Amino acid sequence: MGKENPAAEKASNLLRSRLCDPNFVVKHLSDSPDSNYSKLKFLVSSSVTEACNNSILLLGPRGSGKIAVLELILTDLLLEYPDTISVIKLNGLLHSDDCCAFKEIARQLCMEHQLLFSKMASFDDNSQFMIEMLRECGLAHKTIIFVLDEFDLFAQGKQRLLYSLLDAMQSVTSQAVVIGVSCRLDADQLLEKRVRSRFSHRKLLFLPPSKEDMQRLLEHILSLPVDSSLPHAYAVEFNKKIKNILADGRFKEIVNTLVNLDSTVNHLLRFLFLAVSYMDLESGFLSFENFKTALSNSHRQPKLECIKDCSILELYILVCLKRLEVKEQNSYNFNSVMKEYKSIHDSFQTSDYYSRNVCLRAFEHLLQRELICFTDNRGYSQSVEFRPVKLLISSIELHQGLKSYCSCPVILLKLVER
Amino acid sequence: MAREKEESMQVSRRATRSSTFSANNNGIELGKPNDSYIPTLGDLVFGQEPISLDDLLSRFPGRRVQILELLRLLGTLNSSMPPLFVYGSASTGKTSIIIQVFRHLSRPFVYTSCLSCYSPRILFESILNQLLLHKKNAFNGYSSAKRCEKPSDFVIFVREALINVIDSLKENAEKTSTSKLKGQVNGKMIYLIFDNFELVREWDKSSSILPFLFGLSDILKMPEVGMIFISSTSPDTITKRVDELSTAFSLLFKRYCEPLSDLGVLPNGEMKRRLFSHLQPHIAPSLNEIFRVASQPCLECGVNQETRRKGGARKSVGSGDLDDIGFHMSTSAKYLLVSAFLASRNPATLDASLFDTTGVSDSRKRKRKASEKSLEQKEAAEQELLMKGPGTFSLERLLAIFQCITSVGEEEEGNDGLRVDEGSNALMSDILLQLTSLCNSNFIVKGGSCPLEGSTRYRSTLSEDLAIKVARSIKFPLSKYLYRR
Repeated sequence: MGKENPAAEKASNLLRSRLCDPNFVVKHLSDSPDSNYSKLKFLVSSSVTEACNNSILLLGPRGSGKIAVLELILTDLLLEYPDTISVIKLNGLLHSDDCCAFKEIARQLCMEHQLLFSKMASFDDNSQFMIEMLRECGLAHKTIIFVLDEFDLFAQGKQRLLYSLLDAMQSVTSQAVVIGVSCRLDADQLLEKRVRSRFSHRKLLFLPPSKEDMQRLLEHILSLPVDSSLPHAYAVEFNKKIKNILADGRFKEIVNTLVNLDSTVNHLLRFLFLAVSYMDLESGFLSFENFKTALSNSHRQPKLECIKDCSILELYILVCLKRLEVKEQNSYNFNSVMKEYKSIHDSFQTSDYYSRNVCLRAFEHLLQRELICFTDNRGYSQSVEFRPVKLLISSIELHQGLKSYCSCPVILLKLVER
Repeated sequence: MAREKEESMQVSRRATRSSTFSANNNGIELGKPNDSYIPTLGDLVFGQEPISLDDLLSRFPGRRVQILELLRLLGTLNSSMPPLFVYGSASTGKTSIIIQVFRHLSRPFVYTSCLSCYSPRILFESILNQLLLHKKNAFNGYSSAKRCEKPSDFVIFVREALINVIDSLKENAEKTSTSKLKGQVNGKMIYLIFDNFELVREWDKSSSILPFLFGLSDILKMPEVGMIFISSTSPDTITKRVDELSTAFSLLFKRYCEPLSDLGVLPNGEMKRRLFSHLQPHIAPSLNEIFRVASQPCLECGVNQETRRKGGARKSVGSGDLDDIGFHMSTSAKYLLVSAFLASRNPATLDASLFDTTGVSDSRKRKRKASEKSLEQKEAAEQELLMKGPGTFSLERLLAIFQCITSVGEEEEGNDGLRVDEGSNALMSDILLQLTSLCNSNFIVKGGSCPLEGSTRYRSTLSEDLAIKVARSIKFPLSKYLYRR
């Protein structure tokens, strides 16, 4: 309590907002000359200044910062060339339908140039409008930049939007840059032949940062600014502690585990967010334990946890299903599980033998938890007992789950190991 | 008890809208519900008094870890956060905990359940209505504020609405408020809560809607909006389902307390062991009985079991009730059930031999030496029966069997006790009515239609135990007619 608290709160808020804001991270990563940022910026600015058409694809796994880099470049370019660029943004999740896409393009163009947009315009009207606008902007030496997010979703269906866009770029006097962003590395293979021929095969891959970059990034994110509204002594102390943690070998281990799982920057940011949320607000400093707790909480294995929380009867049912699977029957349902259960009871004289109703209810619980599921989709006229089911967890997971179960009957372990 | 509190909270949560209605209505108007209610920003908050942290923790025993983690992730006022996914199996308290946490923090939120908003359009419109503070009432014909079907429209509208709300929240925050009023709104962030999110997978366009909703925070790029998804897939439970065990527990608890003459004394270790050993023989049968829905009120059940216990030695509690079906049916309905069961279990070709006019001739056919092959066949057939389930039959076959059985029953009973045959014409319509009521109560379900004729076929869902019970109650020799290979 006392004066640490408001400072700690402010520090925690600052860190959290940094971690939720993609621009902050990307700015730091992009100052080297051979980074994707510089390459892309060069491409776009040269096509603006030289008044030519261009197209490029940005590819990389989700969370590697493609859109963040693009946003940064666009803001910089809008500052450099204020009147000569207009940006149209489309998203594959929202606008994969061609009519929708053209309507959105028309709407954004109208907003940019202060024209009236009519919601009643038809598909043909909108596409004509777009081609006209391209021609006019080309004659006026203005560049239109089309950003197509989730590019692979635009490549479904007939690809009319892509074709008309790329075709217009080649035939009409236009100045346009088409930037496609996708997380599928083979996004250009999805294009039709006629579309692909009009597309320049430029691709920019977003690879995960190297270890040194990662280290620098961590330090940059977690260090508090010394000359801001935070008390100076507190900020200096905080940064010193962070430096110590980052240099610790165990911390490097943690980072390695994270990177092995998922090497994108986004994953690292989420982990840091968890750690910052565990920060002790009274003392106001991050400690190594925060990072350790964050690691264990960010790698949850839901199916294993699920098994840990099953009742013993449900475990019996799972083991019976596993045995039936091993016996290679082609399909099995609740009745066959009951038969197996009875045979286990008879041969091993276990003490847990429950009536059919209770077993049925345990079976339904397992269905709800999605550890087993029905294999047919149409059999709604049959009752639960007769519909064929299958297991949704592998034998390894079942085995692990049983081992970590605190009071697992020995018999189940024996049965699973056979 | 905590459970009762939770129930009353459930009630109050579901009635959030109407409770804010009543909270504001008292001051503003009386008797003119149509046009004087003006929704304010305060509607976005829970609408009742905020509760303290201790109160919050004590309402949910055993959930301290989760509540504290949730509070940490939400952070202090105005701190941004990435989207949150809360999961756990049913009845673990996810929704109520989240709503109570928001009540404790007094932060504005927009709650939608994918259970009541079962299509994208309804979901989008519900969110927009809440953000635009639009109430559906008779005045505007119960329509939504904006018509929104596609995700692209939704993004445009919701961005506008969110900007408006955030601006008014900012204004609100700048006005200083010294006392904690009911409905005071804290902070400049607004949170969107999507409940029952696992149901979105089963929607028609789920392959595009699901990634869209998850990516909504990236698409909107507004740091003042936080998203919380609540789902029951990927479960992470700690306590088992409380609602089902509670009925058993109340009975067991009563019995647990029986030897204690003085309920005020806390039992120590020794006493606990004695009490538990007293309780133990009752646990197993009680567990087996958990899912029997008691048809009589609980008290009577308790009394019944008491008398039975006093009467005999340690008879297991459930066995006395096994002979009783537990519900009442007319005789003709029972006959119908039995005929449906027979029709589902027996192949149609046997009907002629089983149900000929004499009705007893098949006993001769059974006495065959079981050869090994036939044993194998028997096992395979049994397996098939286990797998395929009850067969389908047509209506005509059901009625034919019914006629045969009732005539047999007549003969066996010697014409007394059976009043089914009062004019066969009237009988038929009665029977069809009974059949529809049996269908409605799911004893007989419609199977697939016959591929040749296209008429519907039916299937009996009766279990063998229940069929035997029903047959016993009308003194019908079921085993004679059941096809056992």
